[in-house]
Amino acid sequence: MTTIQAKDLLDELAEPIRQWLPAQRWFAAKRRGAEVVQTVHATTIIDGDPALVQALVNVDGEQYQLLLGLRTELVEQVGHAVIGQAGGRHVYDAPHDPELMGQLLELVAADENRGGLRFRHEPWVSLETGLRARPIGVEQSNTSVIYGQNYILKLFRRPSSGPNRDVELHRALHAAGSPHIADPLGTIEGEPAGLATTLGFLQQFLPNAVEGWATATASVRDLLAEADLHADEVGGDFAGEANRLGVAVAEVHADLAATLGTETVTSAGFGARVDAMHARLDSVLTEVPELREHEDMLRQAFDAVRELRSPVEVQQVHGDLHLGQVLRSTSGWVLIDFEGEPDTIPEQRTVLRSPLRDVAGMLRSFDYAAFHLVASGEEDRQRLARAAEWADRNQAAFCEGYAKVAFDPRSQPVLLRAFELDKAVYEVALEHHYRPDWLAIPLATFRRRPSWLA
Amino acid sequence: MTEPLEEPRPDAALGLDGVPHTGEAMTADGHLVEPQAEDFRHARPAAKDLAWYQSAVFYEVLVRAFNDSDNDGTGDLRGLADKLDYLDWLGVDCLWLPPFYASPLRDGGYDISDFRAVLPEFGNVEDFVYLVDQAHRRGIRVITDLVLNHTSEAHPWFQESRNHPDGPYGDFYVWADTDTGYPKARIIFVDTESSNWTYDPVRGQFYWHRFFAHQPDLNYANPAVQESMIDVLRFWLDLGIDGFRLDAVPYLFEEEGTNCENLPRTHEFLKRCRKVVDDEYPGRVLLAEANQWPADVVEYFGDPAAGGDECHMAFHFPLMPRIFMAVRRESRFPISEILAQTPAIPSGCQWGIFLRNHDELTLEMVTDEERDYMWAEYAKDPRMKANIGIRRRLAPLLDNDRNQQELFTALLLSLPGSPVLYYGDEIGMGDNIWLGDRDGVRTPMQWTPDRNAGFSRCDPGRLYLPVIMDPIYGYQGVNVEAQSNSTSSLLHWTRRMLQVRREHTAFGFGDFTELGCSNPSVLAYLRRWVEPGGDEDLVICVNNLSRFPQPVELDLSDHAGLVPIELTGGVPFPPIGELPYLLTLPGHGFYWFQITQGDESEAP
Repeated sequence: MTTIQAKDLLDELAEPIRQWLPAQRWFAAKRRGAEVVQTVHATTIIDGDPALVQALVNVDGEQYQLLLGLRTELVEQVGHAVIGQAGGRHVYDAPHDPELMGQLLELVAADENRGGLRFRHEPWVSLETGLRARPIGVEQSNTSVIYGQNYILKLFRRPSSGPNRDVELHRALHAAGSPHIADPLGTIEGEPAGLATTLGFLQQFLPNAVEGWATATASVRDLLAEADLHADEVGGDFAGEANRLGVAVAEVHADLAATLGTETVTSAGFGARVDAMHARLDSVLTEVPELREHEDMLRQAFDAVRELRSPVEVQQVHGDLHLGQVLRSTSGWVLIDFEGEPDTIPEQRTVLRSPLRDVAGMLRSFDYAAFHLVASGEEDRQRLARAAEWADRNQAAFCEGYAKVAFDPRSQPVLLRAFELDKAVYEVALEHHYRPDWLAIPLATFRRRPSWLA
Repeated sequence: MTEPLEEPRPDAALGLDGVPHTGEAMTADGHLVEPQAEDFRHARPAAKDLAWYQSAVFYEVLVRAFNDSDNDGTGDLRGLADKLDYLDWLGVDCLWLPPFYASPLRDGGYDISDFRAVLPEFGNVEDFVYLVDQAHRRGIRVITDLVLNHTSEAHPWFQESRNHPDGPYGDFYVWADTDTGYPKARIIFVDTESSNWTYDPVRGQFYWHRFFAHQPDLNYANPAVQESMIDVLRFWLDLGIDGFRLDAVPYLFEEEGTNCENLPRTHEFLKRCRKVVDDEYPGRVLLAEANQWPADVVEYFGDPAAGGDECHMAFHFPLMPRIFMAVRRESRFPISEILAQTPAIPSGCQWGIFLRNHDELTLEMVTDEERDYMWAEYAKDPRMKANIGIRRRLAPLLDNDRNQQELFTALLLSLPGSPVLYYGDEIGMGDNIWLGDRDGVRTPMQWTPDRNAGFSRCDPGRLYLPVIMDPIYGYQGVNVEAQSNSTSSLLHWTRRMLQVRREHTAFGFGDFTELGCSNPSVLAYLRRWVEPGGDEDLVICVNNLSRFPQPVELDLSDHAGLVPIELTGGVPFPPIGELPYLLTLPGHGFYWFQITQGDESEAP
C-alpha cells in the first residue's frame, strides 16, 4: 500500500470533482455549476484501505470541505457515492462509508491529532465508539453522520475561519445547563488555510425527535381537512406545543444572556439597523416588482423604529430561528443549528441582536406552516381563513409561552413588526429565486395585519 | 330510661339469611363466626405457570352485565360460567371481576359488607367456586377486586366496633375523640365529603374514612386487622381464585404529619401479603390499583433485586388517555413521552394497560403533577374533556370508526403491559348516555338479536338496565351471534389479533424500544424477547396515528439482511438493507412485523 499524497490525489481528481459538486445539496451555485476547482489544502487522515482524505477546495471563490474515501474494492454503502478513480482506487464521498466514519469517531474519542487536524471531545464526556455510522438523508448546507442512537457529527461543508458560532453557543448553553439543546460532545479543528477553522462538530443525537415543521404542518393539515371546525376545536391543535416552544426559546435567550452577556442599544444606535432594512428592501424591489405596492407600508414600519425612545437590549440569539431549527423530543423542545443567519458574512453573525429577531423568525415560520398548503393553486377563501386562524392562534400561543419566562414580545410591536417585515422581505427574494410557487406566502404577510398588532 | 334498646344483630344489614356469612353466630368471647374455606368445595387448580400474568390478555367482565342464568333480570355467576366457551373461543386468558361480595351497593360493590359472602343476586360462594372450576378447565384464570382499605359501615366488624369499643373489634377502625387528626391527608371525594372524619353517634367518636363516609377505614395499625385481612385473602385463594386487584392500596396506614399515602408501613403490609401468596399460593397474583404516576407506582412492585416483592402487577393509568390524545393530535409524542418517563420494573412484574374500563378516568388524581403538561391541555379542550372525563365505551368514543377501533386495539395489544379488554368492546358495543355516566357503559352484553339481546329471558322491564337499542349500536345489529357468523366482523378481527399476540412472546415478555422517525404522526417500536436458549423473537409495530395516509422511513439497519413478515397475513415484505426502510401506511393503519431470517420459507 503506497502512502497517499493527498494533494496529488486532489489534482488528479479535479475534473471528476468539478462535475460531481453541482449535484450536491450543499453546493451553493447549483445552477451555475462549478468552473474552476482549486485545492486550498489536502491531508490524509486515515491511511490504508480504506483511506480518508480531507480537503478544502476553492470553487469559483467559495470554499468547500471535501471528505474523500478511497477503496480498492467498493462496498455496498458507497456504491452510489463514487466520484472517480485514482491510483487504481475508487474515490467516493466518505460520509457514506461506515468504516471510515467509525474511525473518525475513534479519533475524536481519543483526542488524536492527524494530518494537522485536531480531534477533540469535550472534557466532560467520555465517548462510546464502535457504533454503527450512517449519513443522514436530508440536509441542506452540511453533511451529518449519525452514530448508533447516540451521536451526530456535523461536517461543515462551507467552513469559515475563526471561532465557530454553533460550537460556542452550544458550549455556553451547555454550561448554563440548558435542557433545550443537543449537548455538544466534540470538535474537529485545524488551520487548513492558515486560519483556525472548525471542520466538524459532534453532538448528542436525539433519536426520537421530530422537526417542528413536520409537527406543525401535521396540525395544519388536520385543520384544513375540516370544513366547519375552528383552529381551537380540531384534534390536531398545535397551540399547546407552540406555547411550550415559546417557553423554550425564551429560556434559551435567558441562558445566552446570562452566560454571554447583554448590551443596551440606545435609540441613537438604531439608525444603522434601520438603514440595513431599507437597503435590503431596495435590492429586493429591483428584483421583485410585486413588492412595489407594499413599499410605503414597509418603509413606514422600518422608520417607526427610529422613533423609538426606549433603549433595546441586545445579546447573542439563535439568529436563524424557524420551525426547521427546532426539534420536538420526548423531553420537550430543542433548538439546533446556532450558526446564525445564512448568507451573512461570518463577522456579522456574531453581532449582538435583539431576541425579538428570533421571535420574528418563529412568527414568520408559523405563517409559512399555515399557508404553504394553500399557497399554490386556486384561492379558496375558506381555507385561507382557516390558515390565517391557525397562524394567529399559534403565534399568540408562542408569544404567551415566551412571556411566561421573559417579556411579552407583543409589548414591543414596533420593533417586532419591523423585524417580521424585514424577514419577509428577505423571504420574498429567497422564494423569487428558488421557489416561485411559494412567493405568495411572504407577499401575503404584507396584506394581512397580524392579530397581535393592536 | 337510660338503658339502650336491644342492639340489632351485627349481621342484620347483610340480607344473607340462609347462606353462610360473617356474624351468623358469636363465640363466647365476643368474636364473630365467619365462613371458612373448608366449608366449601374448592375449584380445580389452574395449569402451573408462575409467569402467566406477564403475557396474559385480561377481560374485565361485570357479573351483573354478562349473562342471566335465573332470568331475574340481573347477570350472575352461573350465567357467566355458561359463557366461558365464548371467552375461551375469543382467546382471553384471565377474567377480572369487579367486586361480587355482599354489599349495600352504595359504591358499586366497593363497599363490602361481608368479605366471605357473595352478593345474593349474583349467587353464592358455591357458584363462584363452580365458575372458577369451569374457567380453569378451559385454561382461563379468574381474579377479582378486593378492597383492603375499608369496609361498608354495614360490615359486622364495624357494627361490633361502634357498639363495643372494648370488644375484640373495638380497635378495628380508626376512632378518635376529635376530627382534627391527620390534617395533611387530602379529601379524595371533594364533591361529596367535607372531611375525612365522620361522627358516629352510636360510639360517640369520630371515625376515619378516605373515601365515602359510609366506608370506614380499617385500622391497619391493629395487628388483628392485618391478620383478619390476610385470612380473607387465604379464604378466596383456598377456594381457587387466581389473584386480586387490590383496590386503593396507597391509603392503608395513617401517620400524623404525613399525607397518609404510600407510607412505608403500607408497603410492609403488602410485602406480608405477597409472602403469603409466594409461600402458600405460588402462581397467584396481586395487582395494585394505585392511580398515580408510573414513577411512583413502581414502588408497589417492591424490591427490584428480588424481582419484585410486593404486587406482581399495577395499572399504568396515564397511558390510556395519552393514546386518545396522540390519535387526536395525530402526534406520537403524548405516548412517546409517557413511555420515556415510565421507569423499568422488576423482572417478575408487569403493567396492566387498558383503553376503557368500568370507571371513568379520575383526572383529579394527577392534575397536580407538573410533569404532565397534558392534563392542563385536556382541561382546555372541551371535546377531550367530555369524551374522556365521562364514561363512554370505545366504539362511541371513536365515532364507531372501525379503523380507529382496530388501531387502538392494536396499540393496546402491542404496547408494553398486559392488556385488559372491557366486556363488549370486542363487538363494538355502544353506551347509553341517558343512564348517567356510571351505568351508561354497564348495559347488558349483547349476545343475539333476540329479546333482551339474549342476555336474559326475563320480562324486559325487569332488566337491571335496559339493553342498548339505538339504530347504530342496538343489539339487533351489534351482537355476538351476528359477528360470529361474519369473518370480517370486529369480533373475528379481535380474536385473530389475540391469536397473533399469543404466538409471540415478545409482546408479553419482550423489552420495548421506540424507533424514532421523522414523521411525528407515526409511532414505531420494537418488541424484543431473547429466549433463555438465545433465540430471539423480534416484533416491529408501526402505527399511523393520523387519519391521512403517511410515509415513514425507519432506521432498521441493525437488522440489515433480515426480512419483515406481516403478522396477520404472513406476507413477507422486502428485506431490510442499510438504507432507511420505507413504509407507507393508510390513515389510522398499522403493521405488526416479525423480523425473520430471509431464508426461512415458512411464515411464522
